[in-house]
Amino acid sequence: MNNRGQRVELVLIYQSLLGLYGDRGNATVLMKRLAWRGYESVLTLVEPGDPLPDTGKVYLLGGGEDAAQISAVRGLKADGGLYRAVDRGAVIFGVCAGYQILGNSFTVGYQEEVIPGLGLLDVTTTRGPVRAVGEIISRWNGRDGNDQWLTGFENHGGHTTLGRGVQPLASVEIGVGNCNDGTEGAVAGTVIGTYPHGPILARNPALADHILELALGHELPPLVHPEINKLRRQRLRRVRRSYARNRRA
Amino acid sequence: MSAVSISSARLSAATYAGRLAGTASRLARRGTGASIRGKVMLKIDPSALQKLLAGKRIALVSGTNGKTTTTHFLAAALRESLGPDVDRLVHNAEGANLHHGIASALSEHAKADIAILESDERVVGDLIKLGRPEVLVLLNFSRDQLDRHHEIKSLSRSWRMALAGAGSSGPIVVANADEPLVVWAASAAEQVVWVDTATTWTQDSSLCPECDSGLIRIQPDRASGQDADWYCSGCGLARPKGDYRVESGTIVDRAEHVWDPHLSVPGVFNISNAACALAAAELMGVDARTALNGMRKVTSPAGRFATARFGDTTARLLLAKNPAGWAEALPLAQSQTVVLAIDSAAADGRDVSWLWDVEYERLAGRSVIATGRRAQDLAVRLKYAEVDYRCVPDLADALAGHREPVDVIATYTPFQRLRRMGRV
Repeated sequence: MNNRGQRVELVLIYQSLLGLYGDRGNATVLMKRLAWRGYESVLTLVEPGDPLPDTGKVYLLGGGEDAAQISAVRGLKADGGLYRAVDRGAVIFGVCAGYQILGNSFTVGYQEEVIPGLGLLDVTTTRGPVRAVGEIISRWNGRDGNDQWLTGFENHGGHTTLGRGVQPLASVEIGVGNCNDGTEGAVAGTVIGTYPHGPILARNPALADHILELALGHELPPLVHPEINKLRRQRLRRVRRSYARNRRA
Repeated sequence: MSAVSISSARLSAATYAGRLAGTASRLARRGTGASIRGKVMLKIDPSALQKLLAGKRIALVSGTNGKTTTTHFLAAALRESLGPDVDRLVHNAEGANLHHGIASALSEHAKADIAILESDERVVGDLIKLGRPEVLVLLNFSRDQLDRHHEIKSLSRSWRMALAGAGSSGPIVVANADEPLVVWAASAAEQVVWVDTATTWTQDSSLCPECDSGLIRIQPDRASGQDADWYCSGCGLARPKGDYRVESGTIVDRAEHVWDPHLSVPGVFNISNAACALAAAELMGVDARTALNGMRKVTSPAGRFATARFGDTTARLLLAKNPAGWAEALPLAQSQTVVLAIDSAAADGRDVSWLWDVEYERLAGRSVIATGRRAQDLAVRLKYAEVDYRCVPDLADALAGHREPVDVIATYTPFQRLRRMGRV
């Protein structure tokens, strides 16, 4: 299949600040899944001080530490490109710290400083009572079949509560998610935030394709990759088994 | 009995009980027994570590990458200078580097008066307080086991506070001038010897640890003779000038004498480690020539770079625990077939997301065998890197039947298993 003429631009934002947990892998996954379907694509890496391109179809934000989050919000507000991207209908996908900064505000540091976020998702993050660290399995809302199970690894101290302007991305089966209220992640239009790393799109190809379909505005033919299905089966089985064992103990 | 002898009697009892537990563990084939030995000792005598450290000349080595090899270099340098008196030296050579492991190593060489100790990043602060080390080598900080150490900077802060607290009774610090987090921590010490290590890994320090402004990095440029440099855009923190430096594979000492290291272990990063060890050895009173003669005798520190036999297969074992370590290990693996062993036990870090921070793409054109408990995660990573691979989760199967020698890169847990299987 040849889809030339449709060059798809993906934008990976501030890897030096928001690239702590392998989240650049989400960009690798999206690029390859386009290439394997015959799409021409380009990955634009943007660092603080560089302008965000106005031509991207997907903008990716990953995990990072407190000071990096503050720095990233400052840079992105000054740039303004992310707001224009949302108005244009591009997909914004934020993971962990990248999810938190998309919200109304988040709390950092020993002094519990409240930092205004980008306001692209109606969510608010405060410090949680304990850090959430471990494998997480959630159920993607509105999906069925094997695709509904989202698997990843969460590592965050934030407690995120959802406002009226968003829907949760998923319901937690094992793990903490937003704030131990059974919800995980948030969605508003083409802006999606979620906690798990993995990276999440490597472990959940259906979510990767959903992002691409949202960005392109049409469905994509399926890709068959037995090794990814095997990894998913293995992760779901092992995580559920060890959860059951811990509960018994 | 006097207070002193009660105290030492308790230590003896603790040491004895620890030794029994260690032997039992070793016989049960649960490891070297070092850690359990120390655990039992510290249970019986909580101040055992402090007592064992007392009265010794101590050098500590810490950092996320290269501490085991660097400690071996430093111990070898000291050993070379001691000649027939090597029994005066104690070294936790197996890399058991938490409180338990260190107490255990010290108790097994109670007569030694010089201790060369590898120390986990989290233990440095305690050892500065308890042991009053003479020299502290701080190598680097990179993302490592983030499921346990959530923020890299908090460890750096703990070093900084311990050094500030120790004041003039603190150690002389040998510090890597290329690592902003190390420089920030070491700056709190009264006396620092800076080593320009020509480190290339910069991905784990983008913001100034002092003021959170962006760090400016200048890439080295051979044409103009510009060295790598960094400085903070917001405050005065900047790369200090190296007292020692690594330059085109040589080590230049404080007297501008150029040493060709001729090490027996591979990798440019080991020349950086050797430069730090050389600086520390000189502070401990060993001259550079003697120190390097000793360091050249280090061939496979705690199994790293060792060549082992697995049936008919000859394999060289490389350890890589984090993206910075993989960036060093991948170029060393030169065999056509490369075995990569991945696990996610506590010692490996339970989150394997870091696989996506490693440039496996550079293995394209080789055949890779993915093994270990998390082989399937690696398989998916290799699929996206478009590298040919076979997934063979069982370690013994993965190593069986190679006609040509293979290089193996493993995370910590499979690395230790391979050492036992290959007896190295």
